[in-house]
Amino acid sequence: MYVNVALGILSSLPMAIEGTNRLIVDIAMFFGLLVIVAMALNFQYGNAGIPNMGCAVQVIIGAFSVSAVVLRIMFTVIASSGVPLQDWNDPYNWVYSSPFNVGLSNEFIKTNAPIAIGFFLLSIGIALTLGAAIGYLLALPAIRLRATYLMIVLITMADASQIIGRNVTFISGGTLGVWIPNVFAWYPGDFGVIMAVITLLIGLICFFIFRTMLNSPYGRLMRSMRENEVTLGSIGKNVVGIRRNILMFASGITAIAGVINVYYLQFSNESGYQRAYWTYWPWLMLILGGPGNNAGTFLGAALIIALRRLIIVFKFELQPFFFFPIPYLEDIILGGLLVIVMIFRPSGLIPEKLLYIPGVNYAKMVQEDVKVDWRAAPKARAKKGSKEEKK
Amino acid sequence: MDATIIFMAITYASELTLLSIGFTLTYLTAKIPNFAHGTYAGFGIYVSYTFAKFFGINPYLGFPIAFLIGGLLSIIIYKLVISTLTKMGSGSIVLTIATLAIQIFLGALLNIYAYMFIAFYKQYATAFLLKDYDFKIGEVSGIFFVSIGISITTVIILHYLLTRTKMGIAMRATAEDPELASVLGININNVQLFSWFLTGGLASLAGAMIPFWLLSSPMTGSGIITSIMAGSLLGGFESVYGAIIGGFTIGLSEVLLTLAGQLLLGNWFGEYRPLIPMAFLIAVLLIEPRGIQGFYERVMRRRTKSAPKQSENKEEEK
Repeated sequence: MYVNVALGILSSLPMAIEGTNRLIVDIAMFFGLLVIVAMALNFQYGNAGIPNMGCAVQVIIGAFSVSAVVLRIMFTVIASSGVPLQDWNDPYNWVYSSPFNVGLSNEFIKTNAPIAIGFFLLSIGIALTLGAAIGYLLALPAIRLRATYLMIVLITMADASQIIGRNVTFISGGTLGVWIPNVFAWYPGDFGVIMAVITLLIGLICFFIFRTMLNSPYGRLMRSMRENEVTLGSIGKNVVGIRRNILMFASGITAIAGVINVYYLQFSNESGYQRAYWTYWPWLMLILGGPGNNAGTFLGAALIIALRRLIIVFKFELQPFFFFPIPYLEDIILGGLLVIVMIFRPSGLIPEKLLYIPGVNYAKMVQEDVKVDWRAAPKARAKKGSKEEKK
Repeated sequence: MDATIIFMAITYASELTLLSIGFTLTYLTAKIPNFAHGTYAGFGIYVSYTFAKFFGINPYLGFPIAFLIGGLLSIIIYKLVISTLTKMGSGSIVLTIATLAIQIFLGALLNIYAYMFIAFYKQYATAFLLKDYDFKIGEVSGIFFVSIGISITTVIILHYLLTRTKMGIAMRATAEDPELASVLGININNVQLFSWFLTGGLASLAGAMIPFWLLSSPMTGSGIITSIMAGSLLGGFESVYGAIIGGFTIGLSEVLLTLAGQLLLGNWFGEYRPLIPMAFLIAVLLIEPRGIQGFYERVMRRRTKSAPKQSENKEEEK
């Protein structure tokens, strides 16, 4: 089975990707997609203590940036190279000539791989910029206030962006949606495999960016902000500024997930970006895995995505046992799971460890516990606690 | 035609008042915004449905049952989740996310309940309107009088409760400072239970009135949450009296501004109706984050301060 997948990726034979292998590729794809969102959320909530309830807004901005900006650039470039595209300028044609134009664009992309890769990179760049901009805008009314207000603003903005996307045809085709060209049409092998590989690659890059940032002085600043804002403010740090920067950066990264989702579906519509899906699920992954460390986020994302994909794939086998549609069963399982995890494992499956910073000797800095190895500090502390109890 | 819409706006506004009061009470006692608050209203909606379509009784008789069911549901949620998590020392952010999970859980339960009617009783329960079960006084449908009557009665009872009874004063004390209140011999647990019962009951009662004028589905309740939050936030988030004004204002302006927009700009404006409470929300946060309550306090402070300030200036002049 694994040999087949490996062979499929290497020799890119569409034959190899069927049945169970297709399921594995699918899980890998969605794991990569949601782990980006969950990691960005971990960066904001787990490390900086910003309760971002608006992941859906940032994902939707990424998705809309592809359909509203990059798609027009794409059509312009492709039309200027002599492909007879239909008119796409007024809202009516924008929706109705979309399948035809996209079909021609796919033919064009098959022979022009570098331009297609350029489009993909361009859309990621635009999504980063727009995501950061929306992060700034979202932060504007509520960042100075309590966390509760920020949560309320972000959660309502998720609904607002969906309503705007539904009614402004210009952005993503309104209720009908627009088709998106397949930027990997030049790849001879399976589309799902290349998309999964690209997604996982971007996820890996994001992981290294976040890891580097967390181990840098700025990461320590973030953690100190999470622990106590007042103290940080009193030593002269600009708490509001730090919070805004983090929100902007993480928004940009989250928007990339929207871009990948649109290119994977080859279709853009607002209805796929519900608050329950794109906000609640990353939170569930984060809480399940344990906020504050990336390993936990990976584990949480893998478990949730596997569970969810399995429910979707075996939907027809499960359906006869229930009188209601299966998605509600999914909601009940996952809604209950979050509460259960919160009650029985409040720090998640993998609890956060103490920060280990190479080159900094805490032992010298802390005079009271000179011999403590801080990498094993939680264990040492637990042992000491038990000894004291025995006495 | 216009008169009907104004009656409808007032009906909606009085229902939103009840919901906003509940949301604010939860925030006062537990210090969390309860995102599941709108879904309680969904349970009220289905109590009305069950009474009217399943038992064939007048749904107005189901209002006390709706109040009780909402209250019990709220107590169960408080006991099982919120109280447990608070005892474990979870922060307000964790509790808020828990309410989000509860919202999804309860929404799924409502959907399953609706599908139960489809599967076992061949009744279409996922979208319904109970206008036929309503009575009429002249040209005006009865729900207008009932909703405004219930909301005014609730406000009066709540005012009496909060100012004259021991329980209400204990509630206010607990909202101010739970530890100090417990030192004074107030059983905080009972006070919390009572206030959660009240919020759930009021929300469910408001929900029971919704299907008389709006095509309701299992998701109606959770869709209304933005308006509830806007109403509560406009009222100052920490003041029950502010929530009464805020909820009524948001409800009224949501319907009337949509109507005005449709008349002035064209029918497309109707699609943007959910954006109106959001616009209010953002405007309140940008202009006066503490809402009507904060504005009122600022005006009062200025009024009380203005007199001594003048005397000080005079002294300086001398």
